[in-house]
Amino acid sequence: MRLAWLVLFPLLAFAQHDPAVVAQGRELYNRSCTQCHGADGTVGDRGPALAARRRYIRSSEEDLFNAIKNGIPGTGMPGSALPPDDVRKIVTYIRSLRATAIDAPIEGNTAKGEAIFNGKGRCRDCHMVNGQGGIIGPDLSNIAAERSIKAIHEGLTVPRPHIPTGFQPVRVVLQSGAELRGILKNEHNFSLQMLDMNGKLHLLSRDEVKEVEYDTQSLMPTNWAQRLTPEELKDLVAFLSRQARPVDGPRQPNARRRR
Amino acid sequence: MNRRSALKLLSSLPAAAAAQAEVTYDDLRKADPKDWLTYQGNYNAQRHSLLKQVHTGNVADLTAAWIYHVPNANRLQCVPIVVDGVMYISQPNEVYALDGTTGRLIWSYNHEPALQRGPNRGVAVYGNKVYVGTPDAYLVALDARTGSLLWKAKLADAKDGYWAPVAPLAIKDKIIMGIAPGDHGLNGWLDAYSAETGERLWRWHSIPRPGEPGNETWAGDSWKTAGGDTWLTGSYDPELNVVYWGIGNPAPDFDGDVRKGDNLYTECMVALDADTGKLKWYFQYTPHDVHDWDAVEVPVLVDADFKGRKRKLLVQANRNGFYYVLDRVTGEFLHGSPFLKRLNWATGLTKEGRPIRVKEVIPTTQGTRTCPATAGATNWHSPTYSPDTNLFYVAMMEGCGINYKSRDTFRPGGMPYMATGYVEDPEAPWQTYVRALDLTTGAIQWEYKQVGSKRYGAGLISTAGGLVFAGDDQGFFTALDARTGKPLWHFNTGQQITASPVSYSVKGKQYLSVAAGSNIVAFALHGRAAK
Repeated sequence: MRLAWLVLFPLLAFAQHDPAVVAQGRELYNRSCTQCHGADGTVGDRGPALAARRRYIRSSEEDLFNAIKNGIPGTGMPGSALPPDDVRKIVTYIRSLRATAIDAPIEGNTAKGEAIFNGKGRCRDCHMVNGQGGIIGPDLSNIAAERSIKAIHEGLTVPRPHIPTGFQPVRVVLQSGAELRGILKNEHNFSLQMLDMNGKLHLLSRDEVKEVEYDTQSLMPTNWAQRLTPEELKDLVAFLSRQARPVDGPRQPNARRRR
Repeated sequence: MNRRSALKLLSSLPAAAAAQAEVTYDDLRKADPKDWLTYQGNYNAQRHSLLKQVHTGNVADLTAAWIYHVPNANRLQCVPIVVDGVMYISQPNEVYALDGTTGRLIWSYNHEPALQRGPNRGVAVYGNKVYVGTPDAYLVALDARTGSLLWKAKLADAKDGYWAPVAPLAIKDKIIMGIAPGDHGLNGWLDAYSAETGERLWRWHSIPRPGEPGNETWAGDSWKTAGGDTWLTGSYDPELNVVYWGIGNPAPDFDGDVRKGDNLYTECMVALDADTGKLKWYFQYTPHDVHDWDAVEVPVLVDADFKGRKRKLLVQANRNGFYYVLDRVTGEFLHGSPFLKRLNWATGLTKEGRPIRVKEVIPTTQGTRTCPATAGATNWHSPTYSPDTNLFYVAMMEGCGINYKSRDTFRPGGMPYMATGYVEDPEAPWQTYVRALDLTTGAIQWEYKQVGSKRYGAGLISTAGGLVFAGDDQGFFTALDARTGKPLWHFNTGQQITASPVSYSVKGKQYLSVAAGSNIVAFALHGRAAK
């Protein structure tokens, strides 16, 4: 069973730490922790899924170390008899599970990636980065602090089952016969708020809307593996993986725009 | 829309998306009543809406139109800004754009790092940008259509203890921005930033440095840790091109011994040239304040007859309990009288407007009864002036405090430097009122007692419908007859109100809106009542 998991969950971590330490930590983890926390920290049956992005989860290295070493009183989490060195390795591994792109090493060339973002890819037509660009797609200025490299790569290459809230493409026909095209920022039974392709916001009551046609696919193309060379794709991912807002204080791993 | 048409849409995207209706300086000057474009709704800060669909005859039919719950909010102090039906609200580190007719979310912005301190009193709009101050002392500019961060300008070092709860004020192509807090011994200033780029264009220091006029009003080195912050949005006269801003308390708040002198420009109203930030005049309400009576209360600009002569007035109900009428061209003191019935720290004002002090009413180690309390006869919540009634309305508090003092030492890093504080006087408990004052004499024309309410923070708006809207700490949002103070309608929002209401209109429907606790609530007439 463990072997099957190993196959199903190849090492995805892009830790800021030594990959060898991460691998050793993973080995130790899968030997001691999976009964409660699931293989590779992804399941969380009797204990929390450690790879999840949740606010209450301990995030500092010291907190994790103490929790593993001493257990957590009042819960089912026992202390560990492992030597401190091994506990450190497990800590490193757990942190690697949660690493956002900005904390992970990159392979491609960010300058070349930026050229693709602005040029061949035409990404900036829809996406804003640091105040420059389009407004139809999500702002990517902080994407590397919000997503892992894997998620960024998948965003470019794997069709999404769902269109993210706030970016649903629609065609709206008004009672007057006028037609609007753009994306829905929000909607419910009585009103909808849409941004048209010219960047104009429309606050519409359902009464004035005759018809709404929802596109089944996002405006975001996901065939970049075909449209770019492997090298170019790597560069684009590298560029995106370095887009994080500088912050004066500690970065909050879960601070994300709600919309 | 199929895949192909979606891609066609993409390929037809304009290089730069066409503009949403942009807010111009002209718009800000005109202040079309359908919008609420600035913190006070109008540069003159009268907070008088010309909308009159809701009036004394139908306000009984006013109902809640929608409620937007702001996640993790608590005692919101923001004043909503409304542009073409889009409402912008804020809490510390966060800005939200809502559909003003339905309360539905359009976008939100989260600022990092999310330091938890101070309230946030709202945003400013100019061009296609939204501006907000942050708890880590930045001025942030967002794209009004998406909430995308465009730039952030550093006002001060957050690690020094500064923060920026102030709603910015857009004037021409500048964003005027103040800073907090003086209670930590941090000196204040007023800044102007380029609305386009965030570049700082001028800074006026509220504590004069050595060699500058006014520095002699601080004993020794006391000017270095002096306070005088600018934590509430002021007003502006476009014809005179002058910004009016109230200045906060001196530090340490309750111990005046270590800062002998008048302590300029704390507790002042200052008039600054909007282009250069140069001081044109000042008026000090409470020289050498020892009661933490920040003079930041809203300066309301009115052109009116004063003793038979048409004058440009600046009126303010001050935290110290006096109502002041100044000439805003010259700063000349014209009139001052208490709007508080129980005021014990001064017996009156000289003809220059200086308080005639009662010597014993200063903080001591044993405590001294002081009326008004340090919380103030009034505070940040907005007053309103109605030209229809010529009355100035103020949400205010009767009651006293016991003020104490101690020896305190300034510690850097944003530690309080107050030299102790005050408690509510058990023998003179607090009670809030709405009072209507004659504009030029300050005489109380009527009052509305907010029964059961003792905590301040809910401001006022007056409307051309003959109404004054008020909130209270019980959560009631109440419509009063502007002429008589009689309550005509109320709604229990369920949470303490600590913000000032606004009014706007979309597609022919007038709304009133106020932040109540953790919610933004909007009201309108329904169906037939609106006709």
